[in-house]
Amino acid sequence: MTEKIRIIVNEDKCYLCGGCAGVCPSLAIKVSSSKWEFFQDKCISCRICVTACPVGALEAEVVEGKT
Amino acid sequence: MKYDVVVVGAGIAGPIVARNVAKEGHSVLLIDKKPAIGAPKQCAEGINIGVFEKHNIPYDKRFINREIYGARLYSPSGYTLEMRYSRVSGVILERKVFDKMLAFYAARAGADVLPRTEATDVIREDGKIIGIKAKKEGEPIEIRADILVAADGVESTIARKAGINTYAPPHEFDSAYEYEMLIEGFDPDLIHLWFGNNVAPRGYVWVFPKDEDRANVGVGINSDNPMTAKYYLDKWLKENNIPFKKILEVNVGVIPVGGFLKELVKNNVLVVGDAARQVNPMHGGGMAEAMEAGAIASKWIVEALKEENFELLKNYTTEWWEKDGKRLERVLRVRKVVEHLTDEDLDVFIQTLSGIDAEKIAGGRYSEVIKTLLKHPKVLMSPRRIALLKELL
Ligand SMILES: Cc1cc2nc3c(=O)[nH]c(=O)nc-3n(C[C@H](O)[C@H](O)[C@H](O)COP(=O)(O)OP(=O)(O)OC[C@H]3O[C@@H](n4cnc5c(N)ncnc54)[C@H](O)[C@@H]3O)c2cc1C
Ligand code: SF4
Ligand code: SF4
Repeated sequence: MTEKIRIIVNEDKCYLCGGCAGVCPSLAIKVSSSKWEFFQDKCISCRICVTACPVGALEAEVVEGKT
Repeated sequence: MKYDVVVVGAGIAGPIVARNVAKEGHSVLLIDKKPAIGAPKQCAEGINIGVFEKHNIPYDKRFINREIYGARLYSPSGYTLEMRYSRVSGVILERKVFDKMLAFYAARAGADVLPRTEATDVIREDGKIIGIKAKKEGEPIEIRADILVAADGVESTIARKAGINTYAPPHEFDSAYEYEMLIEGFDPDLIHLWFGNNVAPRGYVWVFPKDEDRANVGVGINSDNPMTAKYYLDKWLKENNIPFKKILEVNVGVIPVGGFLKELVKNNVLVVGDAARQVNPMHGGGMAEAMEAGAIASKWIVEALKEENFELLKNYTTEWWEKDGKRLERVLRVRKVVEHLTDEDLDVFIQTLSGIDAEKIAGGRYSEVIKTLLKHPKVLMSPRRIALLKELL
Protein backbone atom coordinates (compact mmCIF):
# COMPACT_ATOMS: atom_id res chain seq x y z
CA MET A 1 0.00 0.00 0.00
CA THR A 2 1.35 3.44 -0.84
CA GLU A 3 2.16 5.58 2.13
CA LYS A 4 -0.25 8.32 3.11
CA ILE A 5 0.86 11.12 5.38
CA ARG A 6 -0.68 13.98 7.28
CA ILE A 7 1.25 17.24 7.52
CA ILE A 8 1.23 18.88 10.93
CA VAL A 9 2.31 22.43 11.63
CA ASN A 10 3.98 23.66 14.79
CA GLU A 11 2.13 26.96 15.07
CA ASP A 12 4.69 28.39 17.46
CA LYS A 13 7.44 27.94 14.88
CA CYS A 14 5.46 28.89 11.76
CA TYR A 15 5.80 32.43 10.36
CA LEU A 16 2.91 32.04 7.88
CA CYS A 17 5.39 32.87 5.11
CA GLY A 18 3.50 30.78 2.55
CA GLY A 19 6.60 28.97 1.34
CA CYS A 20 5.19 25.50 1.95
CA ALA A 21 2.04 26.39 0.02
CA GLY A 22 4.21 27.67 -2.82
CA VAL A 23 6.23 24.49 -3.18
CA CYS A 24 3.31 22.08 -2.69
CA PRO A 25 2.58 20.57 -6.08
CA SER A 26 -1.09 19.94 -5.32
CA LEU A 27 -2.39 23.00 -3.45
CA ALA A 28 -2.79 20.87 -0.28
CA ILE A 29 -1.68 23.76 1.96
CA LYS A 30 -3.28 27.17 2.28
CA VAL A 31 -1.66 29.96 4.26
CA SER A 32 -3.79 32.98 5.02
CA SER A 33 -2.59 36.00 7.00
CA SER A 34 -3.74 34.40 10.25
CA LYS A 35 -3.79 30.63 9.75
CA TRP A 36 -2.09 27.62 8.20
CA GLU A 37 -4.41 24.93 6.75
CA PHE A 38 -3.83 21.43 5.38
CA PHE A 39 -6.15 19.56 2.99
CA GLN A 40 -5.63 15.83 3.36
CA ASP A 41 -7.61 14.88 0.25
CA LYS A 42 -5.22 16.81 -1.97
CA CYS A 43 -1.92 15.71 -0.40
CA ILE A 44 0.21 13.31 -2.46
CA SER A 45 2.59 12.54 0.43
CA CYS A 46 5.69 13.93 -1.28
CA ARG A 47 7.05 15.72 1.85
CA ILE A 48 8.38 18.62 -0.24
CA CYS A 49 6.78 21.13 2.14
CA VAL A 50 8.51 19.59 5.16
CA THR A 51 11.97 20.00 3.63
CA ALA A 52 11.37 23.46 2.17
CA CYS A 53 10.14 25.17 5.35
CA PRO A 54 12.97 27.55 6.35
CA VAL A 55 12.39 26.95 10.07
CA GLY A 56 11.39 23.28 10.29
CA ALA A 57 7.82 24.02 11.37
CA LEU A 58 6.28 21.04 9.54
CA GLU A 59 6.20 17.35 10.33
CA ALA A 60 4.81 14.40 8.42
CA GLU A 61 2.78 11.84 10.33
CA VAL A 62 2.19 8.54 8.56
CA VAL A 63 -1.53 7.76 8.59
CA GLU A 64 -1.67 4.77 6.24
CA GLY A 65 0.68 2.21 4.70
CA LYS A 66 3.69 2.53 7.00
CA THR A 67 6.85 1.55 5.10
CA MET B 1 -18.34 44.65 -7.34
CA LYS B 2 -17.19 44.95 -10.94
CA TYR B 3 -13.87 46.30 -12.22
CA ASP B 4 -11.95 46.33 -15.47
CA VAL B 5 -9.01 44.74 -13.67
CA VAL B 6 -8.60 42.96 -10.34
CA VAL B 7 -5.05 42.56 -9.04
CA VAL B 8 -4.42 39.93 -6.37
CA GLY B 9 -1.39 40.77 -4.22
CA ALA B 10 -0.02 44.15 -3.13
CA GLY B 11 3.66 43.26 -2.91
CA ILE B 12 5.79 44.86 -5.60
CA ALA B 13 4.36 43.67 -8.92
CA GLY B 14 0.67 44.16 -8.02
CA PRO B 15 0.77 47.86 -7.10
CA ILE B 16 2.87 48.71 -10.17
CA VAL B 17 0.24 47.11 -12.41
CA ALA B 18 -2.63 48.72 -10.46
CA ARG B 19 -1.02 52.18 -10.59
CA ASN B 20 -0.14 52.05 -14.28
CA VAL B 21 -3.55 50.77 -15.39
CA ALA B 22 -5.57 53.08 -13.10
CA LYS B 23 -3.56 56.07 -14.34
CA GLU B 24 -4.98 55.43 -17.81
CA GLY B 25 -8.52 55.79 -16.48
CA HIS B 26 -9.51 52.15 -16.07
CA SER B 27 -11.22 50.80 -12.97
CA VAL B 28 -8.85 48.68 -10.92
CA LEU B 29 -9.08 46.86 -7.60
CA LEU B 30 -5.91 45.84 -5.74
CA ILE B 31 -6.35 43.39 -2.86
CA ASP B 32 -4.00 41.82 -0.33
CA LYS B 33 -4.60 39.27 2.37
CA LYS B 34 -2.37 41.16 4.81
CA PRO B 35 -4.07 43.55 7.22
CA ALA B 36 -1.19 46.01 6.77
CA ILE B 37 0.23 46.05 3.27
CA GLY B 38 3.96 45.32 3.40
CA ALA B 39 3.98 43.71 6.84
CA PRO B 40 5.40 41.30 7.69
CA LYS B 41 8.17 41.70 5.16
CA GLN B 42 9.94 38.73 3.61
CA CYS B 43 12.96 40.45 2.17
CA ALA B 44 16.54 41.64 2.68
CA GLU B 45 15.37 44.92 1.14
CA GLY B 46 18.28 45.48 -1.25
CA ILE B 47 17.52 47.06 -4.62
CA ASN B 48 19.39 48.69 -7.47
CA ILE B 49 19.26 52.49 -7.58
CA GLY B 50 18.08 52.50 -11.21
CA VAL B 51 14.54 51.29 -10.49
CA PHE B 52 13.29 54.58 -9.07
CA GLU B 53 13.69 56.57 -12.24
CA LYS B 54 12.86 53.64 -14.50
CA HIS B 55 9.52 52.95 -12.84
CA ASN B 56 8.65 56.49 -11.87
CA ILE B 57 8.87 55.88 -8.12
CA PRO B 58 9.76 58.85 -5.89
CA TYR B 59 13.16 58.58 -4.19
CA ASP B 60 11.51 59.06 -0.82
CA LYS B 61 13.62 58.96 2.34
CA ARG B 62 10.66 57.47 4.18
CA PHE B 63 11.37 54.07 2.65
CA ILE B 64 15.11 54.30 2.13
CA ASN B 65 17.05 53.03 5.12
CA ARG B 66 20.49 53.35 3.70
CA GLU B 67 22.36 54.13 0.50
CA ILE B 68 24.88 51.50 -0.56
CA TYR B 69 28.10 52.03 -2.50
CA GLY B 70 28.97 48.48 -3.52
CA ALA B 71 29.51 44.95 -2.30
CA ARG B 72 32.11 42.77 -0.62
CA LEU B 73 32.20 39.04 -1.33
CA TYR B 74 33.90 36.55 1.01
CA SER B 75 35.21 33.13 -0.06
CA PRO B 76 35.19 30.09 2.26
CA SER B 77 38.84 30.64 3.29
CA GLY B 78 38.38 34.37 3.73
CA TYR B 79 39.54 35.84 0.41
CA THR B 80 37.53 38.94 -0.37
CA LEU B 81 36.41 40.72 -3.49
CA GLU B 82 35.33 44.32 -3.07
CA MET B 83 33.41 46.43 -5.55
CA ARG B 84 33.13 49.97 -4.27
CA TYR B 85 31.84 52.89 -6.31
CA SER B 86 32.05 56.62 -5.83
CA ARG B 87 28.29 56.94 -6.34
CA VAL B 88 25.32 55.22 -4.73
CA SER B 89 24.74 51.87 -6.46
CA GLY B 90 21.77 50.60 -4.50
CA VAL B 91 19.64 51.12 -1.43
CA ILE B 92 18.35 49.10 1.47
CA LEU B 93 14.64 49.81 1.63
CA GLU B 94 12.15 49.71 4.45
CA ARG B 95 9.77 47.38 2.66
CA LYS B 96 6.95 47.78 5.13
CA VAL B 97 6.80 51.42 4.10
CA PHE B 98 7.79 50.85 0.46
CA ASP B 99 5.06 48.29 -0.33
CA LYS B 100 2.45 50.44 1.39
CA MET B 101 3.58 53.52 -0.53
CA LEU B 102 3.42 51.60 -3.84
CA ALA B 103 -0.19 50.73 -2.96
CA PHE B 104 -0.74 54.39 -2.03
CA TYR B 105 0.54 55.49 -5.45
CA ALA B 106 -1.90 53.00 -7.01
CA ALA B 107 -4.75 54.38 -4.90
CA ARG B 108 -3.78 57.95 -5.77
CA ALA B 109 -3.79 57.03 -9.46
CA GLY B 110 -7.42 55.92 -9.08
CA ALA B 111 -7.28 52.25 -8.05
CA ASP B 112 -9.35 50.89 -5.17
CA VAL B 113 -7.21 49.12 -2.57
CA LEU B 114 -8.46 46.59 -0.03
CA PRO B 115 -6.16 44.99 2.56
CA ARG B 116 -7.24 41.98 4.64
CA THR B 117 -8.99 40.69 1.53
CA GLU B 118 -7.91 37.25 0.49
CA ALA B 119 -8.68 35.79 -2.92
CA THR B 120 -9.85 32.23 -2.36
CA ASP B 121 -10.76 31.12 -5.88
CA VAL B 122 -11.60 32.27 -9.38
CA ILE B 123 -15.17 32.49 -10.71
CA ARG B 124 -15.78 30.72 -14.00
CA GLU B 125 -18.75 31.16 -16.28
CA ASP B 126 -19.03 29.12 -19.48
CA GLY B 127 -15.39 28.13 -19.02
CA LYS B 128 -14.23 31.75 -18.83
CA ILE B 129 -12.83 33.43 -15.73
CA ILE B 130 -15.06 36.37 -14.88
CA GLY B 131 -13.69 37.33 -11.49
CA ILE B 132 -12.60 36.06 -8.11
CA LYS B 133 -14.07 34.86 -4.87
CA ALA B 134 -12.54 36.52 -1.85
CA LYS B 135 -12.88 36.90 1.88
CA LYS B 136 -12.88 40.45 3.15
CA GLU B 137 -12.36 40.52 6.90
CA GLY B 138 -13.85 37.02 6.92
CA GLU B 139 -16.94 37.87 4.84
CA PRO B 140 -17.22 36.12 1.46
CA ILE B 141 -17.42 38.50 -1.48
CA GLU B 142 -17.37 38.15 -5.26
CA ILE B 143 -15.43 40.54 -7.43
CA ARG B 144 -16.09 40.56 -11.14
CA ALA B 145 -13.46 41.79 -13.54
CA ASP B 146 -12.59 41.60 -17.23
CA ILE B 147 -8.93 40.93 -16.46
CA LEU B 148 -7.35 39.12 -13.51
CA VAL B 149 -3.74 39.74 -12.49
CA ALA B 150 -2.16 37.13 -10.23
CA ALA B 151 0.57 39.00 -8.35
CA ASP B 152 0.18 36.72 -5.39
CA GLY B 153 3.85 35.97 -4.76
CA VAL B 154 5.54 32.64 -4.36
CA GLU B 155 2.35 30.88 -3.25
CA SER B 156 0.73 31.65 -6.61
CA THR B 157 -2.49 30.03 -5.44
CA ILE B 158 -4.68 32.24 -7.60
CA ALA B 159 -2.44 31.85 -10.62
CA ARG B 160 -2.69 28.08 -10.20
CA LYS B 161 -6.46 28.14 -9.59
CA ALA B 162 -6.75 30.13 -12.82
CA GLY B 163 -5.14 27.20 -14.62
CA ILE B 164 -1.62 28.60 -15.06
CA ASN B 165 0.80 25.94 -14.00
CA THR B 166 3.39 27.85 -11.98
CA TYR B 167 4.65 24.73 -10.23
CA ALA B 168 8.39 24.01 -10.10
CA PRO B 169 10.29 21.23 -8.33
CA PRO B 170 11.75 22.00 -4.88
CA HIS B 171 15.33 22.24 -6.16
CA GLU B 172 14.21 25.33 -8.06
CA PHE B 173 13.44 27.24 -4.86
CA ASP B 174 15.64 28.67 -2.14
CA SER B 175 14.61 28.64 1.51
CA ALA B 176 15.54 31.84 3.28
CA TYR B 177 15.81 32.90 6.91
CA GLU B 178 16.85 36.31 8.18
CA TYR B 179 17.25 38.38 11.33
CA GLU B 180 17.04 42.13 11.37
CA MET B 181 19.49 42.64 14.18
CA LEU B 182 22.15 44.74 15.80
CA ILE B 183 25.49 43.85 14.32
CA GLU B 184 28.83 45.63 14.34
CA GLY B 185 32.14 45.38 12.55
CA PHE B 186 30.91 45.52 8.94
CA ASP B 187 31.36 48.44 6.60
CA PRO B 188 27.82 49.84 6.55
CA ASP B 189 28.29 51.36 3.09
CA LEU B 190 28.55 47.94 1.42
CA ILE B 191 26.44 44.81 1.25
CA HIS B 192 28.37 41.72 2.35
CA LEU B 193 28.00 38.19 0.94
CA TRP B 194 29.65 34.98 2.21
CA PHE B 195 29.90 31.89 0.03
CA GLY B 196 30.76 28.29 0.82
CA ASN B 197 29.18 24.86 0.76
CA ASN B 198 29.16 24.68 4.55
CA VAL B 199 28.13 28.31 4.92
CA ALA B 200 25.15 28.32 2.59
CA PRO B 201 24.72 25.41 0.16
CA ARG B 202 23.96 26.86 -3.28
CA GLY B 203 23.35 30.31 -1.81
CA TYR B 204 25.02 32.81 0.47
CA VAL B 205 24.86 34.52 3.82
CA TRP B 206 24.13 38.23 3.54
CA VAL B 207 24.55 41.31 5.69
CA PHE B 208 22.56 44.24 4.26
CA PRO B 209 23.18 47.29 6.48
CA LYS B 210 20.18 49.42 7.49
CA ASP B 211 22.16 51.52 9.95
CA GLU B 212 25.73 51.78 11.22
CA ASP B 213 25.01 48.94 13.64
CA ARG B 214 21.78 47.36 12.34
CA ALA B 215 21.36 45.05 9.35
CA ASN B 216 19.33 42.36 7.68
CA VAL B 217 21.43 39.25 8.26
CA GLY B 218 20.15 36.23 6.40
CA VAL B 219 20.82 33.07 4.45
CA GLY B 220 19.36 31.40 1.39
CA ILE B 221 19.92 27.69 0.67
CA ASN B 222 18.49 25.15 -1.74
CA SER B 223 14.94 24.26 -0.65
CA ASP B 224 15.55 20.53 -0.93
CA ASN B 225 18.37 20.69 1.62
CA PRO B 226 17.85 18.29 4.54
CA MET B 227 18.77 21.05 7.00
CA THR B 228 16.79 24.27 7.45
CA ALA B 229 17.86 27.78 6.49
CA LYS B 230 17.56 28.73 10.17
CA TYR B 231 20.09 26.01 11.03
CA TYR B 232 22.62 27.50 8.60
CA LEU B 233 22.18 31.09 9.76
CA ASP B 234 22.44 30.28 13.47
CA LYS B 235 25.51 28.13 12.74
CA TRP B 236 27.19 30.95 10.79
CA LEU B 237 26.51 33.49 13.54
CA LYS B 238 27.93 31.11 16.18
CA GLU B 239 31.01 30.23 14.11
CA ASN B 240 31.75 33.90 13.54
CA ASN B 241 31.20 34.81 17.19
CA ILE B 242 28.45 37.23 16.26
CA PRO B 243 26.14 37.70 19.24
CA PHE B 244 22.50 37.21 18.32
CA LYS B 245 20.61 38.43 21.32
CA LYS B 246 19.56 41.77 19.86
CA ILE B 247 17.11 40.71 17.19
CA LEU B 248 14.43 43.10 16.02
CA GLU B 249 12.68 40.88 13.46
CA VAL B 250 12.70 37.39 12.02
CA ASN B 251 11.88 37.02 8.31
CA VAL B 252 11.18 33.78 6.54
CA GLY B 253 10.41 32.88 2.96
CA VAL B 254 10.90 30.76 -0.11
CA ILE B 255 12.35 32.22 -3.33
CA PRO B 256 11.81 30.83 -6.84
CA VAL B 257 15.28 30.73 -8.42
CA GLY B 258 15.04 27.98 -10.98
CA GLY B 259 13.48 29.24 -14.17
CA PHE B 260 10.59 31.14 -15.60
CA LEU B 261 7.08 30.47 -16.82
CA LYS B 262 6.87 30.04 -20.56
CA GLU B 263 3.29 31.33 -20.73
CA LEU B 264 2.57 34.34 -18.57
CA VAL B 265 -0.96 34.79 -19.85
CA LYS B 266 -3.93 32.50 -20.16
CA ASN B 267 -6.96 34.12 -21.80
CA ASN B 268 -7.74 37.09 -19.52
CA VAL B 269 -5.40 36.10 -16.67
CA LEU B 270 -1.84 37.41 -16.29
CA VAL B 271 0.75 36.27 -13.80
CA VAL B 272 3.51 38.62 -12.59
CA GLY B 273 6.43 38.69 -10.17
CA ASP B 274 7.32 35.82 -7.86
CA ALA B 275 4.11 34.06 -8.89
CA ALA B 276 5.64 33.79 -12.38
CA ARG B 277 9.04 32.99 -10.83
CA GLN B 278 10.43 36.23 -12.31
CA VAL B 279 13.40 36.38 -9.94
CA ASN B 280 17.11 36.75 -10.62
CA PRO B 281 18.23 33.13 -10.12
CA MET B 282 21.76 34.15 -9.19
CA HIS B 283 21.11 36.36 -6.19
CA GLY B 284 17.41 35.73 -5.51
CA GLY B 285 16.45 39.39 -5.87
CA GLY B 286 13.00 39.74 -7.36
CA MET B 287 11.82 43.29 -6.69
CA ALA B 288 13.32 44.87 -9.82
CA GLU B 289 12.12 41.92 -11.90
CA ALA B 290 8.61 42.20 -10.42
CA MET B 291 8.53 45.91 -11.32
CA GLU B 292 9.71 45.26 -14.86
CA ALA B 293 7.16 42.50 -15.39
CA GLY B 294 4.44 44.67 -13.83
CA ALA B 295 5.31 47.52 -16.18
CA ILE B 296 5.16 45.30 -19.28
CA ALA B 297 1.96 43.57 -18.14
CA SER B 298 0.22 46.88 -17.45
CA LYS B 299 1.21 48.27 -20.84
CA TRP B 300 -0.57 45.39 -22.59
CA ILE B 301 -3.57 45.47 -20.23
CA VAL B 302 -4.08 49.12 -21.14
CA GLU B 303 -3.77 48.29 -24.87
CA ALA B 304 -6.17 45.34 -24.57
CA LEU B 305 -8.78 47.44 -22.77
CA LYS B 306 -8.42 50.31 -25.21
CA GLU B 307 -8.72 48.08 -28.28
CA GLU B 308 -11.22 45.75 -26.56
CA ASN B 309 -9.04 42.92 -27.78
CA PHE B 310 -7.81 40.55 -25.08
CA GLU B 311 -5.64 38.68 -27.56
CA LEU B 312 -3.22 41.61 -27.10
CA LEU B 313 -2.53 40.44 -23.55
CA LYS B 314 -0.36 37.69 -24.99
CA ASN B 315 2.14 40.36 -25.98
CA TYR B 316 3.09 40.57 -22.31
CA THR B 317 4.57 37.08 -22.58
CA THR B 318 6.39 37.93 -25.81
CA GLU B 319 7.76 41.26 -24.62
CA TRP B 320 8.82 39.95 -21.20
CA TRP B 321 10.70 37.05 -22.75
CA GLU B 322 12.34 39.40 -25.21
CA LYS B 323 13.36 42.01 -22.63
CA ASP B 324 13.96 40.15 -19.38
CA GLY B 325 13.45 36.44 -19.96
CA LYS B 326 16.38 35.90 -22.32
CA ARG B 327 18.76 37.80 -20.01
CA LEU B 328 17.54 35.92 -16.93
CA GLU B 329 17.90 32.57 -18.72
CA ARG B 330 21.59 33.43 -19.20
CA VAL B 331 21.87 34.29 -15.49
CA LEU B 332 20.23 30.95 -14.69
CA ARG B 333 22.92 29.18 -16.71
CA VAL B 334 25.59 30.92 -14.63
CA ARG B 335 23.77 29.94 -11.42
CA LYS B 336 23.70 26.31 -12.49
CA VAL B 337 27.44 26.36 -13.03
CA VAL B 338 28.15 28.18 -9.77
CA GLU B 339 26.10 25.52 -8.00
CA HIS B 340 28.79 22.97 -8.85
CA LEU B 341 31.71 24.95 -7.45
CA THR B 342 33.68 23.43 -4.59
CA ASP B 343 34.92 25.58 -1.71
CA GLU B 344 38.38 25.50 -3.29
CA ASP B 345 36.94 26.73 -6.60
CA LEU B 346 35.22 29.57 -4.76
CA ASP B 347 38.51 30.50 -3.09
CA VAL B 348 40.38 30.49 -6.40
CA PHE B 349 37.71 32.45 -8.26
CA ILE B 350 37.23 35.13 -5.61
CA GLN B 351 41.00 35.44 -5.14
CA THR B 352 41.47 35.87 -8.89
CA LEU B 353 38.50 38.17 -9.35
CA SER B 354 39.80 40.59 -6.73
CA GLY B 355 42.43 41.52 -9.31
CA ILE B 356 39.83 42.30 -11.96
CA ASP B 357 38.32 45.68 -12.63
CA ALA B 358 35.18 45.85 -10.49
CA GLU B 359 33.29 47.71 -13.21
CA LYS B 360 33.68 44.71 -15.52
CA ILE B 361 32.08 42.40 -12.98
CA ALA B 362 29.31 44.71 -11.89
CA GLY B 363 28.62 45.79 -15.45
CA GLY B 364 27.89 42.17 -16.36
CA ARG B 365 30.79 41.91 -18.82
CA TYR B 366 31.02 38.28 -17.83
CA SER B 367 32.83 36.99 -20.88
CA GLU B 368 35.78 39.28 -20.12
CA VAL B 369 35.71 38.20 -16.49
CA ILE B 370 35.64 34.52 -17.45
CA LYS B 371 38.46 34.97 -19.93
CA THR B 372 40.59 36.49 -17.14
CA LEU B 373 39.69 33.61 -14.82
CA LEU B 374 40.69 31.13 -17.52
CA LYS B 375 44.21 32.57 -17.52
CA HIS B 376 44.79 31.85 -13.81
CA PRO B 377 47.26 28.96 -13.22
CA LYS B 378 44.96 27.25 -10.68
CA VAL B 379 42.23 27.26 -13.27
CA LEU B 380 44.51 26.16 -16.10
CA MET B 381 45.63 23.15 -14.06
CA SER B 382 42.06 21.91 -13.59
CA PRO B 383 40.17 20.53 -16.61
CA ARG B 384 36.99 20.53 -14.47
CA ARG B 385 37.30 24.27 -13.73
CA ILE B 386 38.04 25.00 -17.38
CA ALA B 387 34.97 23.00 -18.40
CA LEU B 388 32.75 24.81 -15.89
CA LEU B 389 33.93 28.23 -17.01
CA LYS B 390 33.68 27.39 -20.69
CA GLU B 391 30.04 26.53 -20.16
CA LEU B 392 29.54 30.18 -19.32
CA LEU B 393 31.13 31.61 -22.42
C1 LIG C 1 14.19 36.33 2.88
C2 LIG C 1 14.06 36.98 1.53
C3 LIG C 1 14.96 37.98 1.16
C4 LIG C 1 14.82 38.63 -0.07
N1 LIG C 1 15.67 39.65 -0.36
C5 LIG C 1 15.51 40.37 -1.50
C6 LIG C 1 16.31 41.50 -1.77
O1 LIG C 1 17.15 41.90 -0.97
N2 LIG C 1 16.09 42.16 -2.94
C7 LIG C 1 15.13 41.79 -3.83
O2 LIG C 1 14.99 42.43 -4.88
N3 LIG C 1 14.37 40.71 -3.59
C8 LIG C 1 14.50 40.00 -2.44
N4 LIG C 1 13.68 38.94 -2.19
C9 LIG C 1 12.66 38.57 -3.18
C10 LIG C 1 11.51 39.59 -3.16
O3 LIG C 1 11.03 39.73 -1.84
C11 LIG C 1 10.40 39.15 -4.10
O4 LIG C 1 10.95 38.76 -5.33
C12 LIG C 1 9.38 40.27 -4.34
O5 LIG C 1 8.75 40.64 -3.15
C13 LIG C 1 8.37 39.79 -5.36
O6 LIG C 1 7.31 40.69 -5.46
P1 LIG C 1 5.86 40.16 -5.82
O7 LIG C 1 5.00 41.37 -5.91
O8 LIG C 1 5.91 39.25 -6.96
O9 LIG C 1 5.41 39.25 -4.60
P2 LIG C 1 5.27 39.59 -3.06
O10 LIG C 1 6.08 40.77 -2.68
O11 LIG C 1 5.49 38.32 -2.34
O12 LIG C 1 3.74 40.00 -2.92
C14 LIG C 1 2.70 39.09 -3.02
C15 LIG C 1 1.54 39.62 -2.20
O13 LIG C 1 0.40 38.83 -2.48
C16 LIG C 1 -0.34 38.67 -1.30
N5 LIG C 1 -1.17 37.48 -1.51
C17 LIG C 1 -0.76 36.20 -1.71
N6 LIG C 1 -1.82 35.39 -1.90
C18 LIG C 1 -2.92 36.19 -1.82
C19 LIG C 1 -4.31 35.94 -1.91
N7 LIG C 1 -4.78 34.71 -2.17
N8 LIG C 1 -5.17 36.97 -1.76
C20 LIG C 1 -4.69 38.22 -1.49
N9 LIG C 1 -3.39 38.51 -1.39
C21 LIG C 1 -2.51 37.51 -1.56
C22 LIG C 1 0.73 38.53 -0.22
O14 LIG C 1 0.21 38.87 1.04
C23 LIG C 1 1.78 39.53 -0.71
O15 LIG C 1 1.63 40.79 -0.12
C24 LIG C 1 13.80 38.24 -0.97
C25 LIG C 1 12.91 37.23 -0.62
C26 LIG C 1 13.02 36.60 0.62
C27 LIG C 1 12.05 35.53 0.99
S1 SF4 D 1 7.07 27.29 5.08
FE1 SF4 D 1 7.18 26.93 7.30
S2 SF4 D 1 7.09 28.97 8.23
FE2 SF4 D 1 6.40 29.19 6.11
S3 SF4 D 1 4.14 28.98 6.23
FE3 SF4 D 1 4.95 26.96 5.79
S4 SF4 D 1 5.18 26.02 7.81
FE4 SF4 D 1 4.98 28.20 8.16
S1 SF4 E 1 3.51 16.36 1.41
FE1 SF4 E 1 3.60 17.18 -0.71
S2 SF4 E 1 1.45 17.23 -1.39
FE2 SF4 E 1 1.42 16.95 0.84
S3 SF4 E 1 1.17 19.01 1.62
FE3 SF4 E 1 3.40 18.59 1.56
S4 SF4 E 1 4.08 19.35 -0.42
FE4 SF4 E 1 1.85 19.21 -0.50
